[in-house]
Amino acid sequence: MPPTLEANKLSPGLTIWHRVVALQPPAFSGQTKLPKVLAQVVAHREWGCVLALHRNKVLGIATCQDLLEAMVRQDPSQLRLSQVVTRPVITVRQSKLQDMSLVLETFAHHDICYLPVVDDQDHLVGVIDKARLLQTLQEQGAAVQQRHQAQRAQLFAEITLKIRQSLQLKEILQTTVNEVQRLLKADRVLIYQVLADGTGKPISEAVVEPYPEILGHAFPEEVFPEDYQTLYAQGRVQAISDVHAPDSGLADCLVEFITQWGIRSKLIVPIVHPLKPEQSVGDAPLRNHLWGLLIAHQCRSPRQWTEFELELMQQLADQISIALSQGQMLEYLEERVKLRTAELTQANWALHQEIKERKQIELALRQSEAQLRLITNNLPVLIAYVDGDQRYRFNNQAYEYWLGQTPEAIQGMSMKALMGEIYYQTIQPYVETALTGAQVSYESELTFKDGRSHSVSVTYIPHIEEEAGASQIKGFFALTMDISDRKAIERMKDEFIAVVSHELRTPLTSLHGSLKLIATGRLGHLSEEGQQMLDVADENTDRLVRLVNNVLDLQRIESGEVTMDAHDCDAADLVVQAAEAMQAIARQQGIQIQTQPDSIAIWADPDYIVQTLTNLIGNAIKFSTPGNVIDLTVQPYFESALPPRPSNATFHHRHTLPAMALFCVQDQGQGIPSDKLNSIFERFQQVDSSDSRKKGGTGLGLTICRKIVEQHGGQIWAESQMGVGSCFYFTVPLSADSAA
Amino acid sequence: MALKSMTLKRVLVVDDEESIQKVVSLSLKMEANWDIVTASSGQEGIAQAELHGPDVILLDVMMPEMDGIATFEALCENPRTQTIPVVLLTAKTRTAEKRLFQKIGVAGVITKPFNPLTLASQIASLLDWPL
Repeated sequence: MPPTLEANKLSPGLTIWHRVVALQPPAFSGQTKLPKVLAQVVAHREWGCVLALHRNKVLGIATCQDLLEAMVRQDPSQLRLSQVVTRPVITVRQSKLQDMSLVLETFAHHDICYLPVVDDQDHLVGVIDKARLLQTLQEQGAAVQQRHQAQRAQLFAEITLKIRQSLQLKEILQTTVNEVQRLLKADRVLIYQVLADGTGKPISEAVVEPYPEILGHAFPEEVFPEDYQTLYAQGRVQAISDVHAPDSGLADCLVEFITQWGIRSKLIVPIVHPLKPEQSVGDAPLRNHLWGLLIAHQCRSPRQWTEFELELMQQLADQISIALSQGQMLEYLEERVKLRTAELTQANWALHQEIKERKQIELALRQSEAQLRLITNNLPVLIAYVDGDQRYRFNNQAYEYWLGQTPEAIQGMSMKALMGEIYYQTIQPYVETALTGAQVSYESELTFKDGRSHSVSVTYIPHIEEEAGASQIKGFFALTMDISDRKAIERMKDEFIAVVSHELRTPLTSLHGSLKLIATGRLGHLSEEGQQMLDVADENTDRLVRLVNNVLDLQRIESGEVTMDAHDCDAADLVVQAAEAMQAIARQQGIQIQTQPDSIAIWADPDYIVQTLTNLIGNAIKFSTPGNVIDLTVQPYFESALPPRPSNATFHHRHTLPAMALFCVQDQGQGIPSDKLNSIFERFQQVDSSDSRKKGGTGLGLTICRKIVEQHGGQIWAESQMGVGSCFYFTVPLSADSAA
Repeated sequence: MALKSMTLKRVLVVDDEESIQKVVSLSLKMEANWDIVTASSGQEGIAQAELHGPDVILLDVMMPEMDGIATFEALCENPRTQTIPVVLLTAKTRTAEKRLFQKIGVAGVITKPFNPLTLASQIASLLDWPL
């Protein structure tokens, strides 16, 4: 590489020539005898040559070798210097030293080792020693190289800094082309982006006047064939000093294409970088691809691109690649951040929504709770929640109204503490039952804050929660209703019925008794019509007596006044008793009562079971015709051995029953329509509304039967077939011994 | 059917209802030919009992001023009447009332309305009188 004088300054003010030009060269007059010259040469071993001068102009030159050879050939004492020097002498003018290449070329061309330097008058200025020159140049070259490297590093750092001052790719690319153009003094520097379809376009450009801009012009695929792309992707660098040179290696079409942009010389380095993160597959190593080209153009003349320039371009291309990666990574990260931000925004929105919904729910809950509290506080019922430790966790305002204890004061208080030891003992079994998970109700007397005792009906409803597949009893809700008014009304009703029954019975007794006595005929005989009217009066008085008796019976049973006096008794005896009691009436009607009772020990009140049987037999007699048979049976009855029951059979209070006795009263009467089977056990419900008139029934007999059976814990139902007859069944528990 | 074979008995009927007195009296006369004495109040009943020493007293429960229970207690406290059996003739049929009647030691309870044709036999049955 030919250095220039300007570039070869070793230090300010000092040029290379000061080091390589011997300003006081060994010069002698041409007439100087050779021995004298030789003596000087021997004395100055550093001399490589001597010059012969004439009037300070160089006549010739002789190297030490020349002098030695001359001495060998001839007697040196006779020789003068002018006789052994070479001439003409190749010299160089001092003014030409600017062109080092000229100097070097002179050395090379003439194959000489020393080159005298003369001024414009051809006066000797000095001598250049080729070996010394080359050595100096070599030394200087290394320094230059070092300086170049430092300079390049500095430039590179500057450009890199500028590049990296921005994360915006467009700005980075523009900075790059600007800096490269400035540094290389190129006429145009551009960045060409390779597109996916094989075409491309310049996306950044720095161009000097007067050369045209390429920016924005699309390059056809033909000028950038696929094999070029492959080569560039592999790292190919193309430095073409003259695009028109035959050895440029460019296709004619490409030369033609680039000529329109005035391009004479170009340097192309690829910009490759890894694929985008999202384009990489799995954990596979990142794959490089050709992103684009960094191109420098020289338009004014061909240009020999130096290694330094080439390396600089490559390093900058690498920096662009890094910037691209960073940009893409930034873009990727920004995209991720954007995505994540969107997700967070969405999540935030959802969270806000959830909070909003929760607030709404909480508001609704508060409103609901307020409404519930308003309702519960205004209900004339004590409402409480008691936890598993029998402590109050909620009480409504009624506790204050009734008991004089505010809900706040009761909160956390134990039931025993609130109710008192004595009262608590009476309710303790119910509390403990509720805490086993069973709902329980009872009636009690509770002293209110006014000091009066009130009848209350209390219900404990267990609070059961499913936890881990198991039922956990958390506590219970306690509802206490003041039933004092109801009780008072019941008492009044009972009293009313008692009074009414007495007041009814007294005149009825007189009426009934009088009619019976008249009907005997022993008080005198009536006309036929009079006797008929007497029979009507007697018959209806009987009916009225039965009705009053039934009303009272039913009232007593329903009010709970009657408690069944159950004990062990023989069902067969009861059947026989009932049959005997009704036998006379049946015989009057021409009806036969048959009994086939098994002896079964039952747990029942015999009077009421006989009443039930006589009611059912009486019913059967009413609806039978002369010649019919009524069958009375009783037999053991087990739940699993239930006879198939018709779908229209009527059941009441069907429970899981222990072993029972099954009573049956079967008639051969007209039968009961299936749609009536469900209602005949209700009060005043008869198959035919005229029955009560025709048959003298009260409409309460079956209702009383049902009540009696239910009081025993049994069931009653009827089966019937029209025109064939009816069968009334009821069950009564067996005695403990029989059941066992 | 009249119980003509019954031994002649004297029966005191105490009832504030005259119609009841008449029906009971006629019934017992017709069916058993018993001798009937009547009273319309508890006080009168006690006096009649002291006076006539009846074989049985048919005593109504619900009477003004002195009810059947009070009358019965007075009869029991009276040495002249305390041995006379008392059969309550009442419309009170509530279980509690029945229990009370049994508890105080009456000979029996006959519920109104009764059958006048079987009244005498009911009384005889309660008192173990031969029919």
